[in-house]
Amino acid sequence: MIKTENLTKSFGKNMVLKNINVTINKGEVVAVIGPSGSGKSTFLRCLNLLEKPTSGKVYINGREITDGRVNIMEVRKQIGMVFQQFNLFPHMTVLENVTFAPQKVNKVPAEEAKKVAKELLAKVGLTDKENAYPSQLSGGQKQRVAIARALAMKPEIMLFDEPTSALDPEMVKEVLDVVKDLAETGMTMVIVTHEMNFAKEVADRILFIDGGIIVEDAEPEKFFSAPESERAKDFLSKIL
Amino acid sequence: MNLDFSQIVPYIPFMLQGIWVTIKFVFVSILIGLILGTILALFKITNNPVLKGFANAYTSIFRGTPLILQLMIIYYATPQLIGYDIPTFLSAILAFGLNSGAYVSEIIRAGILAVDKGQVEAAEALGIPYRTMMIHIILPQAVKNILPALMNEFITLTKESAIVSTIGYLDLMRRAQIVGADIYRNFEPLLFAGVIYWVMVFILTKLGSALERRLRASD
Ligand SMILES: Nc1ncnc2c1ncn2[C@@H]1O[C@H](COP(=O)(O)OP(=O)(O)OP(=O)(O)O)[C@@H](O)[C@H]1O
Ligand SMILES: [Mg+2]
Repeated sequence: MIKTENLTKSFGKNMVLKNINVTINKGEVVAVIGPSGSGKSTFLRCLNLLEKPTSGKVYINGREITDGRVNIMEVRKQIGMVFQQFNLFPHMTVLENVTFAPQKVNKVPAEEAKKVAKELLAKVGLTDKENAYPSQLSGGQKQRVAIARALAMKPEIMLFDEPTSALDPEMVKEVLDVVKDLAETGMTMVIVTHEMNFAKEVADRILFIDGGIIVEDAEPEKFFSAPESERAKDFLSKIL
Repeated sequence: MNLDFSQIVPYIPFMLQGIWVTIKFVFVSILIGLILGTILALFKITNNPVLKGFANAYTSIFRGTPLILQLMIIYYATPQLIGYDIPTFLSAILAFGLNSGAYVSEIIRAGILAVDKGQVEAAEALGIPYRTMMIHIILPQAVKNILPALMNEFITLTKESAIVSTIGYLDLMRRAQIVGADIYRNFEPLLFAGVIYWVMVFILTKLGSALERRLRASD
């Protein structure tokens, strides 16, 4: 479970998130949408403290992680994150990318880490790429490795920041299919995306952010067919 | 044109010994510069203001004054200030090592900062601790940015090493001058020394590009 209380983030004088109060339940799949620069990435990054909130609180499974005494490294282990630019480790093979953190952080024995990595790579359809380096993969393959890498830590929560925005159109589907499969396993997920059809299909809930505020928080059916706010209507009319 | 190389023939072994003398002191200076530069670079990327301030001031001083002045100060000021008659070799490696440390620290710092910020974020998001991240993720990638620039620094150092002749260290350059004074002809021994410097730099350059090719191949 994720909960924020009056979550606020400023960069200098620029207040990017304004008093965000939201609760995301265990097993929920939430899509975050909104215009560019509205604070979607910042919101997501505050959830694993890649960005330090200026004020307000963030709770993960009931524990306040914004409390200075909490070991943030411990918390991050339970939260997987997938980036727009993949951020694979270029000097490691696919298999090493996936086994590195479990071995170094969770002290999983090498053989065990390898076994888990192979299962995950099979799940994302990349069994034959184990020994390839990231530079030898297509964008869609890289992103699937990145997903496997995050899952290898056995997280309870997964955060996705526009996982398909850097991909050529023909590769979007292979990545979204993996995310969709994951959603069906009951994983708690927060997905920032510009893929409206995907959001409609996969998400249990839509958060529409504009100007650092959650303007709408609704089920996909309702949000896409009858948005309440002018801003959401305006946004949808521009992109649909 | 009045050129006569036959006169330097007897001096050739004497001059060739200078190669070894030059290489020896350049090598030790490089080692000092590497170790010092790595430490200073790590100081520069910490959040500790004292270490950072020290490393930045150090770099500013050693890059902001002539190397020959640093060499002279070490050679002439040490006996005057602490009464220790510092040998030329020690003066030379100190001046070149301390000076090179400043340049190397900038090279390493820039190499680390040039690693994509996404790498740090990915490591942090996985809960990988700072040390592990530095050793296994950031530095291996930084090395690719650092090595070619370091090679250039070594080449510069090799060429600039000739200024230790000013404090009487018997390097290649100094030997060329001695021979010149002996036979009353300066051009031939200087030309001979020039060819040797050029060959040394040429070899280093070739090594550098071979290294760079290897690094690029591993991408
Ligand atoms: N590290 C930073 N320093 C200063 N300003 C920042 C920083 N990160 C984000 N911002 C600013 O915060 C605002 C929100 O950025 P954010 O990346 O969260 O938007 P976004 O909704 O994810 O946009 P996009 O759809 O383009 O990814 C922007 O105005 C951005 O310029
Ligand atoms: Mg964003």
